[in-house]
Amino acid sequence: MGRLRRSRTHHARRDVHRSNRTRVRSRDLDLIQLIDLDPKNRAALEAQPLDFEKPGLGQHYCVECAKYYETDAALQSHWRSKVHKRRCKELKEPAYTIEEAERAAGLGREGKRPTASMPVEMDTISGT
Amino acid sequence: MRIEKCYFCSTNVYPGHGSAFVRNDAKVFRFCTSKCHKNFKMKRNPRKVRWTKAFRKAAGKEMTIDSTIDFEKRRNVPVRYDRNLVQTTIKAMKRVEEIKGRRERAFFKNRMAVSREKQRVHRRKTTEAVKASVKLHVPNTVESSETSKVREKIKISAKSSTALVRGEGRSMGMDID
Repeated sequence: MGRLRRSRTHHARRDVHRSNRTRVRSRDLDLIQLIDLDPKNRAALEAQPLDFEKPGLGQHYCVECAKYYETDAALQSHWRSKVHKRRCKELKEPAYTIEEAERAAGLGREGKRPTASMPVEMDTISGT
Repeated sequence: MRIEKCYFCSTNVYPGHGSAFVRNDAKVFRFCTSKCHKNFKMKRNPRKVRWTKAFRKAAGKEMTIDSTIDFEKRRNVPVRYDRNLVQTTIKAMKRVEEIKGRRERAFFKNRMAVSREKQRVHRRKTTEAVKASVKLHVPNTVESSETSKVREKIKISAKSSTALVRGEGRSMGMDID
């Protein structure tokens, strides 16, 4: 018998698959917004101790984009770039969280009072 | 049994269905389908993807403030089984669902009425713009009917060469001339 499997099943997408691996996953927006951008945490992130495993010894870190740079010049040019500006714009609006997903599904939190004390009756139809 | 909500599209995720991603800060992201999981991996914002519940709520396409929504809750205190309580709860669920449906229909009707009005105005505006831009000309006067000429016969020589090969219904052949 000859070859049965068809060719070209790997799509030549090696780099795409690699960038989707969990271990290269970058910091999520909600984490950056709620934790990293806090002034105290921000100062700690910007003045990190020397780390030989990180790019540029961990000395040039962009907090918004959660990315290390090799040199100060590279970091400066990154701050002027479109990528960084876009990221800053994304961080301005509140990040999407699991709580918001649940709220959108109509799943409230217990302990919270109901929004309005509206009696559940036949003829109360709110049409707004 | 706990019915979770999908992180991306906010639909129900029943036990044994979908998949979950646990981030390294112990937050659990649940997904109803691989579609939602893939969209999450692409780092899309559910608020900007039109088919998600989050979009519909954020864009004002569905009811957000209503007392009927507040009944469903994540309750972390277990309740001892009570036959009467279950019965009344089921009854109440049906009733709440009925009222919710009615309110949703009213909301939809209202929303559509507004959008229809908007559409009508827009349509009128565009038609007026078209009318303003198009100028109609009066056609040139046609002369009287006597000028309508009798068609002349045009003689064509019998040997007019055609590209067609006359095959007389037979198969095409090169030898017929």
